[in-house]
Amino acid sequence: MDVRGTPPDAEVVALVLAGDAEAFGFVIRRYEAGLLRFATRMLGSRDAAADAVAESFVRAYRHLASCREPARLRTWLYRIVTNRCKSHLVRRSVADVPLDDAPPVADPADTEADLERADQLLLVERALADLSPDKREAFVLKHVEGLSYEEMAAVTGERIPTLKMRVHRAREALLKVLEDHT
Amino acid sequence: MNVIDPRIHQALDGELAAEAVPADLRRTVAQLAAAADLLAAVPGPAVSVESRVMAAIRRPAPSPARRAMRWLVTPRAIILRVRPAWSVAFAAVVAALTLFTADHEGPVLAEHEGIAQFVGRFPEAQSVHAVGTFNDWRPGSIALEDQDHDGVWRATVVLPAGTYEYMFVVDGERWVPDHLAERLVADEFGRENSIVIVRPARR
Repeated sequence: MDVRGTPPDAEVVALVLAGDAEAFGFVIRRYEAGLLRFATRMLGSRDAAADAVAESFVRAYRHLASCREPARLRTWLYRIVTNRCKSHLVRRSVADVPLDDAPPVADPADTEADLERADQLLLVERALADLSPDKREAFVLKHVEGLSYEEMAAVTGERIPTLKMRVHRAREALLKVLEDHT
Repeated sequence: MNVIDPRIHQALDGELAAEAVPADLRRTVAQLAAAADLLAAVPGPAVSVESRVMAAIRRPAPSPARRAMRWLVTPRAIILRVRPAWSVAFAAVVAALTLFTADHEGPVLAEHEGIAQFVGRFPEAQSVHAVGTFNDWRPGSIALEDQDHDGVWRATVVLPAGTYEYMFVVDGERWVPDHLAERLVADEFGRENSIVIVRPARR
């Protein structure tokens, strides 16, 4: 959905806090794609990710008055989703983590390049699932969501050198898997 | 662990221009960037949670009493930190509360209601409010007063009996926990909230 031309975050937050609950729809449409992608990569399941993101949005709405910097709403939302994903991961063992709810099925129309891309994706997803949650979180925030280290520090509450080290370790683990399969 | 040349990390972190990376390392940079690109595209039809979130939002929020009950019956880890100096101060607050509730000239309370007293020392503050689960975290409804201008702000309010999380909002923008509170708990946003337990008035 096109959200261009919608008011800036601080304005939307003010509208919601003034009683216009429907204005929260702007927040959802603006950020749900990124949050769903992040949660999917953290949890390895689109269904679990949708649950985590939906729960996070409801919590964000209920606690919106405690968002101290409405202009940095995005970082605040990532923080809530990050915590939600961690709770999900704690509740289930790593062995239960599915790679995806519906594994890709080869389509006769797929080209060789498509199949190779699907194989590569499966490989990378498995490597990502094998990382510790902390390293997976750091890698996805950095390379999939494109957050700066400063934003990552605001999301995770960790120090920048710690986050850099986690991203570096994650890259090394991923590279090893990729090279082993080349 | 497969240690990577630091220049590869620098390039991927945007600290080193791509053209400054030696040719033999560029393949690795490209390989990792391609892996990240693969992960950025989540396969399958687009999913939206908007309708379910908005439906949940439009439902009336549970009452403070119901939320307090749910909080009481839901198992959770609680971080409890008590410092001796604060426990003495807390004892003073409890004593003040006891004296207050023993005063027959005080407000008439229903059986399910009790009195909460908020006290905080903010010498430079222009305004202090108590916000929490009792007022849906919305500032403005419970204002503390510093009547003798000694920097100690106070408010005494009647609330439905229950356990509430709260913080002080100083000058409308600074959120601080009440370290004199009976308990502090970590919330899901990485902050500490204070806990006040409002006990029903004795009849």
